[in-house]
Amino acid sequence: MALRSGIKLSGIFSGRAVVSTPVASSRSNYKYVGMPAEKDGTLKGDLDYGLNNVFFTELFRGFGVMLGHVFMEPATINYPFEKGPLSSRFRGEHALRRYPSGEERCIACKLCEAICPAQAITIEAEVRPDGSRRTTTYDIDMTKCIYCGLCQEACPVDAIVEGPNFEYSTETHEELLYNKEKLLLNGDRWEPELAANLQSEYLYR
Amino acid sequence: YQMGVKELLGLDKLAKLATTVQKIGGLRAALKQRYLMDVTRTGTLVGEDKFGNKYFEDNSYFMPRNRWVVYPDRVWLDYDATQVAPEWHRWLHHISDETPTTNPPKNEKWVLTHEENSSIFPDKKYTPYATGRTKIQGWKPQ
Repeated sequence: MALRSGIKLSGIFSGRAVVSTPVASSRSNYKYVGMPAEKDGTLKGDLDYGLNNVFFTELFRGFGVMLGHVFMEPATINYPFEKGPLSSRFRGEHALRRYPSGEERCIACKLCEAICPAQAITIEAEVRPDGSRRTTTYDIDMTKCIYCGLCQEACPVDAIVEGPNFEYSTETHEELLYNKEKLLLNGDRWEPELAANLQSEYLYR
Repeated sequence: YQMGVKELLGLDKLAKLATTVQKIGGLRAALKQRYLMDVTRTGTLVGEDKFGNKYFEDNSYFMPRNRWVVYPDRVWLDYDATQVAPEWHRWLHHISDETPTTNPPKNEKWVLTHEENSSIFPDKKYTPYATGRTKIQGWKPQ
């Protein structure tokens, strides 16, 4: 019954009890998180409560908040006109890069295939007529890939990289089964940005 | 900060709107921008790429909102984020403050022109195929 002693009935019109004092004097450092008291028990408080109810003041204060938010600067970005910040290390769509001469970088060492935790990479290699070892097949299943970036870290010649592009959604599953031609095409199109991103990381690689 | 009569009545905001509309190029242009981009805003023109996309900056907005691209009238409502050129993609995504106009990339001659995501065009879809030779030969009975 110690609880009851902290509760006093407020107002003659209300049948509801409102907690307004701490439960026990020994524990005073807490915050009451329940319904805040609408009335304080005095006649003035009762009158205020009644008048606020009669004139729908809560409704108009709500409208005021709404009107304020109409003119407030939005906290959202207007994609695709504005775009969110990315890191130069962002791991997006894969690409196979070339040397400045135009020769493809990949030497078919298969380190990326070996390290890939999702086993998304398939490589087959052959010796070319000029004696250099190159891939004949370089397939990445983009739906298996977990975008961990281990392939680009394993690559000794910076051939396979994960570029900054994340907007390559497709309508079908098979369009995400990338082969060597598609990966080289990505590299040829994104090279300006791929090279700039690698350049900006030169202190850490 | 002292609130004058203008600020209390919100007249400074109306004046700002008027100058913005004037900078966009009149009421018709402002309405067109509203229709295409759902905003009424102007900034400094930072540059333009070869596809006709215009890049703007206004640092009075907070960070991801301060840079934006205006797609050319030719694409109208068929604008897409992948129409942004890779050179400008870096600036637009705040990876770097350098633009291709201040710091042009050294492009080799094998670098290809950027293309937008073509998955929705039935004739331009990428279809995977085997690039290596087949390992299994069919048996031809003599």
